[in-house]
Amino acid sequence: MKEIMYFAPSKVDEALKILAEHRKKVTILAGGTDIVPRMNYYDVEPDILLYIGGLGLNYLKEEEGKLVIGSATTWSKLACDSLVAEKASVLSEAARRGSSIAIRNAGTIGGNLANASPAADLATPLMVMDAELLLASAKGERVVGVTDFFTGPGETVLKPDELIIEIRVPALANSESKTAFLKLGRRRAMTLSVVNVAVRLDTEDRTCYDARIALGSMAPTPIRCVKAEEKLKGKSIDKGLINECAEQAVAESNPIDDQRATAWYRRKAGTALVSRAIAQAAGLTI
Amino acid sequence: MSDNVGKPIPRYDGVGHVSGTTTYVDDVQLPGMLYMKVLRSPVHKGVIHQLDVSPAEKMPGVAGAVTAKNVPGLNAYGMGGDQPVFSPGPIRYKGEVIAAVAAVDEDTAMEALDQIQLDIEEETPVFDPFEAMKEGAPLVRPEGNVFKFNSGMTRKVRLGDVEAGFKEADFIIKGTYTNGVNDHAPMETQASVAYIDATDRLAIHTCSQDLYFHLGMLSAIFGLPMNKIRYIGGTVGGGFGSKNDLHCDHIAGVMALKIRKPVKYRLTRQEETLFTTKRGAWTFQFKDGVKKDGRIVARQIKTIHDSGAYNAMGNYVVDKNAILIAGPFAIPNIWIDGICVFTNKPPSSSQRGFGIINGTSAEQLQMNRIAEVIGMDPWEIRFINAWREGDLGATQFKVVAAGLIEAMQKAAALAGIELPAHLKTMSSQRR
Amino acid sequence: MKYRLSFILNNNLEEVLVKPTETLLDVLREKLNVKSPKRGCDTGDCGVCTILLNGEPIRACLTIALTVEGKDVKTVESFISKDGKLHPLQRAFHEHGATQCGFCTPGMLISAKALLDKNSSPSRDDIVEAVSGNICRCGCYYEIVEAVQAVAGGGKKEG
Repeated sequence: MKEIMYFAPSKVDEALKILAEHRKKVTILAGGTDIVPRMNYYDVEPDILLYIGGLGLNYLKEEEGKLVIGSATTWSKLACDSLVAEKASVLSEAARRGSSIAIRNAGTIGGNLANASPAADLATPLMVMDAELLLASAKGERVVGVTDFFTGPGETVLKPDELIIEIRVPALANSESKTAFLKLGRRRAMTLSVVNVAVRLDTEDRTCYDARIALGSMAPTPIRCVKAEEKLKGKSIDKGLINECAEQAVAESNPIDDQRATAWYRRKAGTALVSRAIAQAAGLTI
Repeated sequence: MSDNVGKPIPRYDGVGHVSGTTTYVDDVQLPGMLYMKVLRSPVHKGVIHQLDVSPAEKMPGVAGAVTAKNVPGLNAYGMGGDQPVFSPGPIRYKGEVIAAVAAVDEDTAMEALDQIQLDIEEETPVFDPFEAMKEGAPLVRPEGNVFKFNSGMTRKVRLGDVEAGFKEADFIIKGTYTNGVNDHAPMETQASVAYIDATDRLAIHTCSQDLYFHLGMLSAIFGLPMNKIRYIGGTVGGGFGSKNDLHCDHIAGVMALKIRKPVKYRLTRQEETLFTTKRGAWTFQFKDGVKKDGRIVARQIKTIHDSGAYNAMGNYVVDKNAILIAGPFAIPNIWIDGICVFTNKPPSSSQRGFGIINGTSAEQLQMNRIAEVIGMDPWEIRFINAWREGDLGATQFKVVAAGLIEAMQKAAALAGIELPAHLKTMSSQRR
Repeated sequence: MKYRLSFILNNNLEEVLVKPTETLLDVLREKLNVKSPKRGCDTGDCGVCTILLNGEPIRACLTIALTVEGKDVKTVESFISKDGKLHPLQRAFHEHGATQCGFCTPGMLISAKALLDKNSSPSRDDIVEAVSGNICRCGCYYEIVEAVQAVAGGGKKEG
């Protein structure tokens, strides 16, 4: 029978040393909400389990105008923290809609990103906020934009010896910068997204000068809909533009049929959700 | 006794439930208890050429392994008596149990399963019941893919003359309705603890919903008289029909009899969902002859029930369904053919109102369709066709205590729907 | 390879040897004989394994046991008072018919208690949200919400 090793270091450097030495043999454990079900069903049989909950990576602070979130911060903390609500409400909204209380108490933002499900609810809010990830290994650190982080379903740019340390979320431009997050699941709680959408609109004198639209569960990774974003730039937002933009956003996606929904349904629901999210951010009723 | 009628009474086991002291099968833990895992067929249909469990038995931490050879009595169970406890082959569905191991823990048992030598030749399966009914379809069972009732290849219900009824009708309305498979998903997954007790009886902790029904089956499987089996049960963490069939007791019992040590066999949620019995898929084909005034004068129904690979409750539910599928309506000419088909999938069995609910939903959709086609209010069509006291049912039973009309009147009132006066004054006591 | 785990369980210090892959559910039920947390899915979906970790509800089936080193774990076994009286929530569940087969009940009680410990006057929506991660296949949701409302509102009269 395989001897499994367990480490629970109290310093980041110790964790990075273990990763440097054992690399692919290490399974990183934070909240366990994605990895432990797989272990329970023998789909993942780790050689080394590295628990990162004791590294103190569950901080929330403001640094140089940015909201800085430790990678081991739980969904629950994101959902109720006042700093997050103030600086990145789109993230709070997403955190509040996830799963259920018991799962939110354990699951972490780092885990959600590293697990890289195409349906990752915390990814799309971070994408519209132009967030960056600080990755570290024993060799050093690097910063990766969240939009560049995902490479495929369950795949990221993380190297076997790297750990996500923190997520840095720039401040919104001003008080006229508005965001929205909407999620469609098969039910209100305990469901992965059938479609999720995050939107950010930066406006001045009722004209949108910059926009971000991100879709989840509509492609192999969470995606930015850049052509749809272009449609909004320099325009004042009305119902016709919203519809056009929503259709364009969905046209940039590539949904599949899976256990939760069909591609056909996702396209229809995605169009409706993007419309509603833009309208919500623009303060319009459609 | 009569002091309690009409009063809410607290459950006798309620305090245990809220204290967390109610004992379910998986809560039973005995000294030296071993954990079992089973080897399931990886293919939907096939022939076993070789099965060797000895490498698993030799593994450290493994107390024993069993196959069909180790069943002391009859290697068969189920209402149809046709499903083996351990399949010696041929395999009829993916997930069918072939062997079992008992070990010091589940991790070791899982590793032991990997050691078992299994050589299966895969064959072509059939999944769709309509395909399975065709000439030349892969055979699910040697007797053929369609169950033979004493009335022939269908369960027949005949009343009056449907062809005459159709001639008389102003409208012919057809409809086909299909229900998919439903899972009971009880919160408690199936589990069994079996051991030889101090009086040399086989003791089994069970979550069965039918203790005597299953005790009879187990007696035949173990080759033991009932008084040599101590069947301990009555606490069920949700059944809904899922525990009307044996899933663990027979397997755990065979192991305990062989190795004479306490064993626990529990299903994972994945096994529960994929391989235990379900409410089976069913297709209902209706052809109704209806007059302008809304009376249904002829009803012809063909039902095709997907029983899966074995007859867990296949012909039983088809029979039940055939008696009542025409609905609680006074129809003078009825023709029903109930068909029970076998396919290479896990067997379907009972779930909440089995044999009836699927049929009712189809039949009621057909009533809505009739109402739409002839341009009648859906309440009205049901009121005027509803059984009255003394009417004749499909199998020529006399209707006693008819109450559909009064039930609909009450339902409408509760839903805040104002029925037209002539429906409000109708009664089951007169047409 | 086994590691020593030491944590507070229902106000007692426990020490056990566990494998890294063992979950808190495995350890509670099979090593420490604490049976109120149930096993329903092992994927965190059903809620019957919900317990309190440092006062917060979590899934014992998703918690690697070794990670609770030094932490505080409470299960329904801790609800009963020292003189053997049921906790008001337990009594309310029993009196309101909020339990049928009983399998989801411990998880429901944990979720309900966690809510009332934070918010003694929850709205109906708060209660529904609190137990939305616990599935009941027998269908006692209505009675469960009523039971929690009864306790939040001061509970049923004695006698």
